[in-house]
Amino acid sequence: MRVLVVEDSARLQRSLGTALRKSGYAVDLAGDGEEGLWLAESHDYDVIILDIMLPKRDGLSVLTTLREHGKTTHVLLLTARDTVPDRVKGLRAGADDYLIKPFDLEELLARVQSLCRRAYGSKQAVIKVGDMELDTLGRRVKRGRYPIDLTAREYLLLEYLARRRGQVVTRAEIEEHIYDGQVDPMSNVVDSAICSVRKKLAVAGDEPLIHTRRGLGYALDQAAAEAPTT
Amino acid sequence: MISIRRQLTREMLVAFFVLLSGALVAVYFAARDELIEQFDDSLRAKVLAISSLTSNEGGRFQVDVRDRFFRSFHKDNPEDYFEIWSATGEAVARSDSLGGADLPQPDRPGRPRRVRLPNGHTGRALLLKFSPAQESGEHGEGETKPVLQLVVASDGESLAEALTELLSIGAASGVLLAGTMLWLIPRVLKRGLQPLALLGEQAAGIDADTLTTRFPTVGLAAELQPIVSRLNELLARLEISFERERRFSADLAHELRTPLAELRSLAECAIKWPESREAGADQEVLAVAMQMQTIVTNLLMLARSEHRQAVGPLVPVDIGLLVEDAWQSYRTLAEERGLKVRWEVASVIIPADAGLLRSIVGNLFENAADYAPSGSEVRVRLEHNATEVVLRVANHAEGLDPADVAKLFDRFWRKEEARTGGRHFGLGLPLARMFAQAMGWTLTAALDGQNQLEFTLVGPNPAKAN
Repeated sequence: MRVLVVEDSARLQRSLGTALRKSGYAVDLAGDGEEGLWLAESHDYDVIILDIMLPKRDGLSVLTTLREHGKTTHVLLLTARDTVPDRVKGLRAGADDYLIKPFDLEELLARVQSLCRRAYGSKQAVIKVGDMELDTLGRRVKRGRYPIDLTAREYLLLEYLARRRGQVVTRAEIEEHIYDGQVDPMSNVVDSAICSVRKKLAVAGDEPLIHTRRGLGYALDQAAAEAPTT
Repeated sequence: MISIRRQLTREMLVAFFVLLSGALVAVYFAARDELIEQFDDSLRAKVLAISSLTSNEGGRFQVDVRDRFFRSFHKDNPEDYFEIWSATGEAVARSDSLGGADLPQPDRPGRPRRVRLPNGHTGRALLLKFSPAQESGEHGEGETKPVLQLVVASDGESLAEALTELLSIGAASGVLLAGTMLWLIPRVLKRGLQPLALLGEQAAGIDADTLTTRFPTVGLAAELQPIVSRLNELLARLEISFERERRFSADLAHELRTPLAELRSLAECAIKWPESREAGADQEVLAVAMQMQTIVTNLLMLARSEHRQAVGPLVPVDIGLLVEDAWQSYRTLAEERGLKVRWEVASVIIPADAGLLRSIVGNLFENAADYAPSGSEVRVRLEHNATEVVLRVANHAEGLDPADVAKLFDRFWRKEEARTGGRHFGLGLPLARMFAQAMGWTLTAALDGQNQLEFTLVGPNPAKAN
């Protein structure tokens, strides 16, 4: 899952970046409204965390422009403005959530996670694919009775594939949602990560769950639904 | 608690009862005197009638009271009495109504006196000395006429009854009037004081959230107009004061939210992921704490200067020297940014609070050093005339439009409502203006057509004025 943080406080940017990356998100940072709008329009983020009082262009203007341009990315407004009229104004401008500073980091992460779930039309915390169970709240994966030990990035990859279960997910989409701007676009990080996750899943069960669609991408599903091109 | 209505009611009732009692007593005695006077007039008429009806027939005195007008002297209807004595004190005639008894003799003639009648009743009696008419001219010339003493008395029972009735009517009227007033006065006063009670109810409904309320003055009693005007003035002052405090709290809370969020997220990240703790984290925490301290200190200074608590004693200060000294703190920054400074400053001694003046000038210089475009010119000019000393600080202001100038002195106002690296909080200029006002000076800003922003600080120059 890829998150954009638009916040002019450098310290808050660093803290949010650290917290989100440690939680397995790919994170891009912007320090003003213009940069934030450019990034939001250039990439397909799962969630945007947006401050309101920003240099160059305020957060509400960024949000309104995004909505006008047809961007439906979930936006969480993170601001010091705490009055009810401020919240109403923010939500009416197209925000999906509103959090007031100072905030609890756990609450922010939970809200981001919730917005990510909503991004894929699912309210269920546990996704089952065959004998694999993926607990999005606890960020745990098990196959059968055996827990699978994944890195944060691997978990994120598996969750992204699980949320789009049965669909073909391209490498570009995976790069867009799982990796931030710090990753070299020419690298084969996606293939390496897929390979690593496959190996870890194979330890607990023989049936392959991640299938390669040659020339298209990857799909996560049970073997019965697997296409013959695998 | 003292109640005006109760107090007025009590005092009015006491006054009314005293006046009513006095009036009733006066009426009673006036009516009694009138009744007695009429009674005495009637007695005098009876005395004259009896004396004129008394005849002397050879030493025998006769009184003819057979007429129906004298029935009251008869024994069957005894209301009036008379008795006549000779000069020797011998009773020579008396009315039948006396039944042989004697009447008491008043000591002096001419004035009716209160007497006790033989039947035990009280009455009034009048003494008359007279000489009765001579029958058939039996005594010759030179014969002295006998002088008799006539006493006529009337029973006073009817008078006493009339007086008792008068007293009863007076007392009943008094009680009725007193009862009416007891019922009426409190109600009249209550109605009269209704606007005051209404005012009290309206005042009771005002709290910290409804300080915009004003008491209506239209149709108000003239006596209440000054009170209501003063109350409205008080409410206006309270509203301003509360608004100032509310704004202060809101501004403070709002401005502290971001550094608090920074501090909290720094701490939470360090606790949750200790391995990600950066080397300069403590410096970051200290910087956030210093930032919050600056905000709180500046806001408190603003609040104090709004209450005029900030200004100290005004002492002679060389403003030219102070301005040059204040620039030293910003000289390095100005040089780094390539700013050229044009000085037109001379030595002028004026009375001022040196600390506040330095703070004002420092804020103006900080703005110029931070916001003037790199390589541009900053002009500092000190003028003085007979009455004023004027300091002007001007620089080019990139991106500032005339509408922004009006907001320059608003608390927390920054162009684009954005923080600028934690150095400016939008408090410097409001603080400078408050300090200037606290000293009785003025600080204004103006933007000309070439986007030259000029701050003008004006103070009195009493040394020259004198």
